[in-house]
Amino acid sequence: MLEVKGLRKVYRSGSREVEALRDLTFTVENGELVCLVGPSGCGKTTLLRCVSGLLDPTAGDVRVNGQAVDGPPKGMAVVFQEYGRSLFPWMTVRDNVELPLKQKKVDKKRRAELVAESLDAVGLSGSESAYPWQLSGGMQQRVAIARAVAYEPQTLLMDEPFAAVDAQTRADLEDLVRQLWKRLGVTILFVTHDIDESVYLGQRVVMLSSSPTVVQDELIIDLPAERDQLTTRAAPRFIELRTRVYEQIQAAKKNTGK
Amino acid sequence: MVGILKRTGLAVALPLVLFVGWYVLSAGSTNFYAPPLSRILTAFGDTWQADRLQADVAPSLLRLFAGYLLAALIGIGLGVAIGLNRRLRATVEPVLEFFRAIPPPVLVPVIMLFAGIGNGMKVTVIVFGCIWPILLNTVEGVRAVDSVVLDTARSYGVNGPARLTRVVLPSAAPQIAAGLRQALSIAIILMVISEMFAASNGLGFTIVQFQRSFAIPEMWSGIILLGLLGFVLSLLFRLAERRALRWYEGLRAAQRAG
Repeated sequence: MLEVKGLRKVYRSGSREVEALRDLTFTVENGELVCLVGPSGCGKTTLLRCVSGLLDPTAGDVRVNGQAVDGPPKGMAVVFQEYGRSLFPWMTVRDNVELPLKQKKVDKKRRAELVAESLDAVGLSGSESAYPWQLSGGMQQRVAIARAVAYEPQTLLMDEPFAAVDAQTRADLEDLVRQLWKRLGVTILFVTHDIDESVYLGQRVVMLSSSPTVVQDELIIDLPAERDQLTTRAAPRFIELRTRVYEQIQAAKKNTGK
Repeated sequence: MVGILKRTGLAVALPLVLFVGWYVLSAGSTNFYAPPLSRILTAFGDTWQADRLQADVAPSLLRLFAGYLLAALIGIGLGVAIGLNRRLRATVEPVLEFFRAIPPPVLVPVIMLFAGIGNGMKVTVIVFGCIWPILLNTVEGVRAVDSVVLDTARSYGVNGPARLTRVVLPSAAPQIAAGLRQALSIAIILMVISEMFAASNGLGFTIVQFQRSFAIPEMWSGIILLGLLGFVLSLLFRLAERRALRWYEGLRAAQRAG
């Protein structure tokens, strides 16, 4: 279980203080897929960096299965928004996926299996020897997802992973995330600014206010587990839910006068 | 194929024109100090025989390589340490800029006082002169490693030696290579200068000897040999660089196209 309690982050530079996160509390149960959605510039990335142990919060704490996070936790993988910068351009696809496994001291045979399985799972078998920059944006993000999957995490954090790919690729990748989540049973915290995406993907949507950020509202997404880009997105219940989320986000913007 | 021929043709054309121009214009020269190129070429063949190559060119090259390699090792080592440590950087950077601003030939007499006139002095001069571009470029390259790259490495447990060898150094490699390329030509200059000051063998020493004994065509042939040497070394460097940084060329081409 991922617990975020009273999280606050203030950036200081000289005498200036910027409060990015004010007071955030939410939990993600094991095996749950929760989407965090909020207006642009609401400190989503700050939140994710705190949760992933890359940034120390000013106050409050983050716990993974009861363990306080004070550095990147072992069973956690992160998929970053900027795939072009997150994949190492000096390594082939295979080496990119394999490097974290080497660091985890996974033996060679198992490493080869994990690399092959994870690349197969994202539909990239046969691209092992390519370099990331030889692939399209969508394929690069698939490599980044494969790297996360091969790492065999209990918790997967995704920071607006599809913000920089085109709409059709994005739909494919959303289905890929749902499919991997169901197959692997990982806990996923998916951060996005796209309201439809959050409703389509999540079991639950946590809405954030504008910065300084608090939790605006939470919504259980009671859509069937089998989701489909065509029928789910056209379903009346989907439209109701997305309207609810949209209203909350608009309200959040108004509250801070933006 | 035609493209390659055309490129080679363009690359060779100007040197050929210069060579022919020199040959024709100097053909009737009666100036003692600017003999006809034909005489210089004859002197070239007579002067640079196996015994002299061994007695003068080999020691020069050995000093050059020793100094250059040492400068590369120290420069990259220190550069990584300084680049990774903000406080260290703030402390030493102004001093480095000062040392870099001292024209290295000025130091030859000074270094002679401490290191004598043997090989040690020449290697020291070369190291002291050509370490700066390597050091400063390494500092810049290491400092400029993308923050997303570093976040990715951290969150996937790529720490310690692997962080250095698989992430920081490859990422800084293009800039380090630029420093090494600048350093190579400085190293050649300093090799010659240190030998002109005080030596009993070497290319610089030999050229000065020819000049003092009025063996003018031989002196010119030595200068041509130096030019050829510098050219071949920079060609070899470029080949090695292109091999080692193939990913970087590809990445840049992909970015330009995208």
